[in-house]
Amino acid sequence: MDRLCIQATKSTPYVCFDPASGTFTIKGECYPENAAAFFTPIFAWLEAFLPSHCKERGQSLGQSQGLVFDVELLYFNSSSSKALLNLFSMFECHTVQGREITVNWRYHAGNETVQECGEEFMEDAPNLAFNLVEIE
Amino acid sequence: MLMDLYELYQQMFYEKIIFCFSGPVSQNVVEGIGATLKLKMEVEENDINTIQKVFSIFVEQMQNLMNYSAERVSQEKAGGDLGIGIFVVGFREGHFYVRCGNKIHNDKLNMIREQVDELRTLNSDELKALYRQRRKEPDPDDSKGAGLGFIEMARKASQPIEIDYTAVDETISFLSITVCI
Repeated sequence: MDRLCIQATKSTPYVCFDPASGTFTIKGECYPENAAAFFTPIFAWLEAFLPSHCKERGQSLGQSQGLVFDVELLYFNSSSSKALLNLFSMFECHTVQGREITVNWRYHAGNETVQECGEEFMEDAPNLAFNLVEIE
Repeated sequence: MLMDLYELYQQMFYEKIIFCFSGPVSQNVVEGIGATLKLKMEVEENDINTIQKVFSIFVEQMQNLMNYSAERVSQEKAGGDLGIGIFVVGFREGHFYVRCGNKIHNDKLNMIREQVDELRTLNSDELKALYRQRRKEPDPDDSKGAGLGFIEMARKASQPIEIDYTAVDETISFLSITVCI
C-alpha cells in the first residue's frame, strides 16, 4: 500500500505513514480551520491499511509485527483533540481484535499541557498501548 | 474618520494591550498573529505553560469568531466566507487576557450564554470530566467545531469566562467574551 505523506503547514502537522519503512509519524501543531476535513484522508488511509496489514501479516509473516505511531504535537485545538481521540479509539478497537499497535505520545520536558493531554488520552483509550515519552 | 491614531496607540499602550485587530478573520490571520503572539511572549520569557494557555485561548476565540460571527465578507475564490470581529490580547493585574467581540444571531447567542453560564458553576475537576464526556459524544449538528471550545477555554482560564452583549437590532446582538489566563 502507498504511503501517506502530508506536509506540515503553520496550523497542521507533518503526517507520514510509511509501511515500507515502518514509520508512522504525526508531528507539529494542529489547529486547522476545519479539523474534520484535515483528518478525513488520515482516517481513510488507516481504514484501508489496518485490515489489509493484518491480513498480509497473517498470511506472509506468520507472526505479529507491531505498528508504532509516534505522535509529537506541540499544540492542538479542541476540535483536533476530538479527532485524535477518534484516532486512538480506532487503534484501540484494532488492538482489542488482536492487532499490535503502540502509540508513543512524545512531549517536551516541562510542557505540562501536552503531557496532561497525553495522560487524558491514555485514560480514555485504556486498552491501547499508550506510552508517554518525555523528550529534551 | 478616526482623528488621532496616536491617541489610540497611546491608550492601548497604557492599557497594556499587546495586540488588537478589527476586521475579517481568516485562518492566515489566526496563524500569523498566533505565531507573533507566541514569539513575543517567548522573548519576554513567559513560562511555557502560560504561553500555551494564552495561545490556546486565542485560537479557540478566533475559531468561534470565524464560525459564529453574523457579519461576514464573502471569499468566493477560496470558497466560504470570513467572519468579521474584533479581538484584543492584553495584560491586566498580573494576568493575560484574550477578549473577542462579534455580531451574532440571538439564537446562537442564547446557546452560548447557556453554555457559559453552566461552565461558570463548575470547578476544574468537573470541567475536566465534562470535557472528556463531550469529546466522546458525536458532534452536535449546529456546531462547526467539536463544541468543546468553551470548555477548553474554561479549563485553561484562571477565572470564569466573562460574557457581555448588547442588542444591535431585533435579531442580532454584539457579543463579547473575555477570558483571563
